[in-house]
This record gives sequence, C-alpha cells and structure tokens, in this order.
Amino acid sequence: MGFDIQQRMIDFVIRSNWYIFIIATLLGFINTPFKFALGILCGGLLVTVNFHLLRHTLYKAFDASKFHASQIIVNNETVDTINGHSILSGVIFKYYIRFAISGIVIFTLINKNIVEPMGLVIGLSVVVASIMAATALELTRLIFKEAV
Amino acid sequence: MDFFTACVWAAGIAIGIAAFGCGIGQGMGLNGAVQGIARNPESSGKVTVTLLIGLAMIESLCIYALVVALILIYAHPQAAEIIKTVAAVAK
Repeated sequence: MGFDIQQRMIDFVIRSNWYIFIIATLLGFINTPFKFALGILCGGLLVTVNFHLLRHTLYKAFDASKFHASQIIVNNETVDTINGHSILSGVIFKYYIRFAISGIVIFTLINKNIVEPMGLVIGLSVVVASIMAATALELTRLIFKEAV
Repeated sequence: MDFFTACVWAAGIAIGIAAFGCGIGQGMGLNGAVQGIARNPESSGKVTVTLLIGLAMIESLCIYALVVALILIYAHPQAAEIIKTVAAVAK
C-alpha cells in the first residue's frame, strides 16, 4: 500500500510538473511583460529538466534488478557498494555537474539581464508547487478515506 | 562599507549558509537511503521515490538562495535609488 502511494505521487509529480510549467508559461506570456514570462519559461524548463535528470540518475543508481548489495572495507570504514562501484560517487558526481550547469545558466540569465528575476523565481518554483500539490492530494485522499 | 561591498558580502554569506544547510540535508538523506537499500535491497523502489522527492525539495532551496544571491549582486531592484540616496547624503 505504501509503495502504491509513493508511486502514485511520483507519477503525479512528473505529469503535473509539465502541466504547471505549461500553464504558468502561457499565463506569463499572456498577462505579464516579455522578460517576466521568459523568466518563468527559463526557470520552469530548468527545474523540470533537472528533476527528470535527477530521477534518471537515482533510478539508475538504485535499480533493483542490477543491485547486488555488498559492503567493502576502505580505510577501516564500511562502504556500501553496487557491483563493486561506490553508489555515492556516481550520484554525487552527476549531481555536481547538473548543479554547476544550472548555476551557470541562472548566472547568465541574471547577469546579462535576459529575464526578470521574479519571473525566474516563479519558474523555479514549478517542481516545488507540483510536489506540494501531490502531497495535498494524497492527504485529502487519506482524510476522506479515513472519514468513510 | 559601501553599498556594493555590502551586497557582495550578503550574497556570499547567503549562498554559503544555504549550501551548508542543503549539503548536510542531502548528505543525511542519501546516507539513510544507501544504508536502507544496502540492508534491504527489495525496498529500493520505495526508498528511491521518497529520496527523489526529498532531494528535489532540498535542491530547490539552494537554487532559490543562488538566485537571491545573484539578484543582490547583479539585479538589485533598488540599486539606482540607493546609490542616488547615498550620493546625496555624502554631499
């Protein structure tokens, strides 16, 4: 049951990311100045792609079918490994590459004054908004289920 | 200390504190996930989904801090007015 809720939540977040991004961008281009809307577009695209890359990295790292958990001892410390490679090194290396690219993109957007910073902040909130929405939905389901 | 020096100091301290907090949070999350999966490999699906949501939330906090720091340095909304006020006071 627990896994159902989690899987449902992640499916909802993945779908609602794109929906919220598209709706926010369209509303931005209709109602706000061009630079503000461009900020929403760039910020939304950045975090949505980031989220998908993070998901891909984590699923690849923790794939159960390839998983042969073992522990090796390095410098008197026990290290968890998958197929002989450290789990952490791959995830953290990809994380830093992704984060560095995001930082450079955001730096360029703000430094060159390409977008309105507030629009960018709104765009960057797309993933947070969809996670909040997913949590609210699951809580609502839980409350109504208990009430029945 | 002039206005821009203060802004650069504020931006540096802000992103430093944010990165420190997010780093500790993500490290703790990843540590728990790896230990959990190493002890019970069948739970990798559950753990990965929860970890993904947690990491995305934490990461967005650090990105917000980065944006605020960059705004402070490059796109401070009241920069022109503050410089005018400081110049007027200096005269």
